[in-house]
Parts: sequence; C-alpha cells; structure tokens
Amino acid sequence: MHALLSGALQGYVAVALMLFVIGLATVLLRRTLLMQFMGVELMLNAANVALLAFARWRGGDAEATVFYLMIIAVAACEAAVGLALVIALHRLRGTTDADRAATLKQ
Amino acid sequence: MMGKDFAALWPILFPAVGACFIPLASLDREHDTAKWIRAVVYGIALIALAGSFYYLANLWATGAQPEFESLRMDRLAQFAGIFIAIAAMLTVMQAWDHFHQEGWVKAETISLLLFSVTGMMLFTATSNLLLMFLGLELLSVPLYALVATVRTRGEASEGAMKYFLTGAVASSCFLMGTVLIYGLTGTLNLSDAMARAGGADPLFLAGAALLMLGFLFKTSAVPFHQWTPDAYCASPHPIAGFMSVATKGAAIIALMRAFPAALSSGAIGPKAQHAFAILAVLTLVIGNLTALVQTDAKRMLAYSAISHAGYLLLGFVAGTPAAMTGVLFYLAIYLAMNMGAFGLFTALGLVGEDTSYDALRGLGWKRPLMGLCAAICLLSLAGIPPFGGFFGKYFIFKELIATGHVSLAVLGVLASLVSLYYYLRFLVALFVQAPSEALERKRAEAPLAPSALAGASVLASAFIVVLGGLAQGYLVPSFAARAVSEGLKLLR
Repeated sequence: MHALLSGALQGYVAVALMLFVIGLATVLLRRTLLMQFMGVELMLNAANVALLAFARWRGGDAEATVFYLMIIAVAACEAAVGLALVIALHRLRGTTDADRAATLKQ
Repeated sequence: MMGKDFAALWPILFPAVGACFIPLASLDREHDTAKWIRAVVYGIALIALAGSFYYLANLWATGAQPEFESLRMDRLAQFAGIFIAIAAMLTVMQAWDHFHQEGWVKAETISLLLFSVTGMMLFTATSNLLLMFLGLELLSVPLYALVATVRTRGEASEGAMKYFLTGAVASSCFLMGTVLIYGLTGTLNLSDAMARAGGADPLFLAGAALLMLGFLFKTSAVPFHQWTPDAYCASPHPIAGFMSVATKGAAIIALMRAFPAALSSGAIGPKAQHAFAILAVLTLVIGNLTALVQTDAKRMLAYSAISHAGYLLLGFVAGTPAAMTGVLFYLAIYLAMNMGAFGLFTALGLVGEDTSYDALRGLGWKRPLMGLCAAICLLSLAGIPPFGGFFGKYFIFKELIATGHVSLAVLGVLASLVSLYYYLRFLVALFVQAPSEALERKRAEAPLAPSALAGASVLASAFIVVLGGLAQGYLVPSFAARAVSEGLKLLR
C-alpha cells in the first residue's frame, strides 16, 4: 500500500481508479444504451491501465501482460454481443433510450 | 507442483469441441432447417455433454484429481462438472421441444449453450484469477445472446440488454478486483494472494469486495438481483431454467473455492462473514416477499430462484465443512427441482410470453403425470419433508444452529413457510382453478404441442428429487461430502 501510494505507481493507479469511477457513473447516469455501453468499456480499460502499471512495477510480469491481451479480446467479444443487442432492440423499438425499454416490470 | 496432465482438460474440451462442430452441421440458408439436420445438431450437443459427463464420472470413480497448470480437476471441480453437464443435458432436451413449439429452431442456440457450459466448467475448476475471469466471461457472454435467442420477440432483446449491461458492469468490477489484488500481492493465484495479504489494507479490501460482487451477481443475491426476473422472463423457458440452475451453481461452487481462502486470512475473514450474513438475510426477505405478489408463474420462479440463493448463502455464513456439504447437496437437488419447474412450461406446451397463473389453469388434469411431477418439484422447492429440498435446507440450518446463528436459522425456516404460499398457488392453478371459457376455446383451437423430450426431462428431475430425499443418507457422504473434503481439503 505504502509503496503504491508514494512510489512511481501513484499516478497510474489514480488514473485507473478515476477512469473506473467515470465509467461506472456513465453506466448509472446516462440513459442512452450506446453511452452506457461505452461506460462499460471504460471500466474494462481502467482495469487494463492498472494491470499494465502493476505488471511493469513488478518487473514486467509476463503472466499479467498476457492477461492484458486476454482482456482486450474479451472486451471485443462483449462489444460484439452488446452491439448486436443494441441493433436488435433498435430495429424493434426505433430507439436506444434505456428508459423506453420498460415493458418488463413486475 | 504444477502438473501437465491432459486428463484435466478432456472434460472441458468435450463441450468446447462440440460447440465448434455444431455451426458446421447447420450450413444452410433455408429458414427451415431439415429435420434430420436439427436432430444431428441436438445429437452432437447431447453426445458432447454425455462424453464430458462420462469422463468426469470415470475420474470420480478412480479418485484421480489431475492438474493441468492452474486448472485443477479435483473432486469439487468434478462435482461441479457433473452438475453442469446434467443441467445442460436436461436443457438440451427441453430446448428441442420448446424451440419447435416456438418455431425457432436454430443451431447457434445449442452451440452457445455448449460454450457457456465450457466457461462454467473452467470457472469452477481453478483458483487462478486469470482463468477465473476467462471462465466467467465465457459463461456469461453466450448467455447474453441466449436470452435474446428468439429475437422477433420484443421482450427478448430488452431483457437481454438489461442482463448484458448489468452483467458487463459486474464483470468489469470482478476484473478491477482481480487487478487490485494482483497489484497488491503480486500473484494471480487467489489462495496465495489471500495468504500474502497482510493487515486490513483498504485497497485490498476494495479489491476483495469488487471480486465478491462478481460472484454475487451471478448467484443473483440481493442487491445484485434486479436483472434476474427480467432476464428469465425474456429468455426461452429451458434457457431460463439453465441460467437459474447452472449459472448459480457454478458461481456458488467457485465462491466456495475462493471463500475458505478468504476466511482463513485474518484480514478479511470476519468482515466477509458479516457481509454474507447481511446479504443472505436481504436475499431471503426480498426474494420471498416479492415472489408473493407476482401474477406471472415464470416471474415467481425467478424470484424464488433469488430466495434460494439466500439459503445457499446461509450455508456460507455457517462456513463449516458440513455446511459446505449441505450447500452442495442442496445445489444438486435444486438443479433437479428447478429444471423440473421450468421444464413444466415446455412440457405443458406454454408458448410465447403468456406464463401467468391463469394460463396454467386446469393443465394438471390434462397431463396428470406432469401434474404429479409439478407437485413433487414445487413441494420440494418449498421444503416439504419427504423430498430432497427439505434435507438440503435441513443440513444448512443444522450447521447454522451449531455455529450459533440461531436467529438466522429461524429466519430461514420462516422464509420457507412463506414460500409455501406461492408454490401452492402454482399448484392450485394447475389443479383446482377451472380454466376460463376463452382459454378453453383457445386450447381447443390450438391443441397442445407434443413435448415428449421435455416431459421426459421433467420426469427425470422429479425422480432425482424423490431419490435425493429417500437416499440422502447414502448420497451425502459418498458424493457431496467427498467433494468438499477431498476437493477443498477442508476437513482438518
């Protein structure tokens, strides 16, 4: 913890946490599906920034660097499914406003 | 220490290879795939799952616990794999009938299902955070698409979108937790990381909490449950059953692997226990009370699935090896009774969106055997004694009392009593209430579609529920207890 907050890592971790919070806020506050979707991507990439910073700090840990590549691939898969869903919804409803998608309620 | 035993890989490769073959088997541009091609697709899926099941059963019989790098096919992973394979086989059987009733038989559905199975097996068979994350994503990304399978239905893509957004946020949180834990401890192995974590470092606690959020989202525990009813209602009946059983089971078993490590580290052990107690109580209360007021049977089952996550979490509050055994046994019975309950919709021929209690009226007498299975599965869900569900709850509550959480056990019993009301309401609709005239006319115009396979799967589920109740004295020590003691090495 002390090494993290006083050393050279400080900036990277701060930026990563900030990106993460911004992404979460975007998902929770914006009401456009595409915007919320971008928020999710921001959260994933915040983790990437932190991961690479940590990996470098630990002397270029190969496992963590590979993990970073995996995360990019996974994010692409999620994006593919997510965009397909947005398009399917847009075809049926003609809107990507999250508040209009409220047919399912108890 | 790290083995390179390919025996650990086979059970996971079977569904993965099957999933890759299925798209090849359906290369055609026609909307109506020929019946024999459809049969081949479903056949490949069943063979892949049966192969995985057979291989795991063999491993279990020999007692081998092979390892491939960080992938550990130990007893717990074998138990999980068998559990997931059975759930998936029942799902495939029900899917055949359901998608024929809907007129939407597509090969990609089954392919996605098998990929999800692969992810679940991976998720439960490792304590390496990288593999866990990949497993988590491999199980959830196909599920997002599966919810929206029948894409001409408006509800389908809406429910899928909600599931996708919340699920993606939960995965991101899981990932951030992983990265924080890695950064502070320098290892991606969860048990090593827990051992190295010294003191109550706030950043480490945040990481552990984010990680836990990922698990709890998949078990649909309150307050991460909002997606559950929408996603279940939107998805086809068999997929809803699969999600409620296999996803929850995989997450609970993976949590079981992560949790003892968390408990044994003095830093976060007591905090985790408190968090689990609070979440379990909230899940039980909110799940049960909301299920009471539902008018839609499928939505009721979704809230009931939430409340069952509460009972399972109560087992984690007790935390003893006996409680973990109880949780595993409960999961196995829960598999049968929930697959049975969701399978009923298909077996009784309910097509489309109308799954209200009213649509079920009088169907119990039309198909008496299915009615009997419904009674068995639903009474077991409520925890009525001769059936398996009762014993699952009994083992968990017994351990709660033994570890001094008497009030939680009392709450659990009260929650089961409340749940009896909404399960009985389902049965009342099936047997007691007469269908309205309009409904009679509608049924006369469109006679019930054949559903032999779905019926068989419901019958098998009911059989497992009864067997689990009668033979629990044999099943618990020889399966669940061995998975906990030999897989987790918990019994000291």
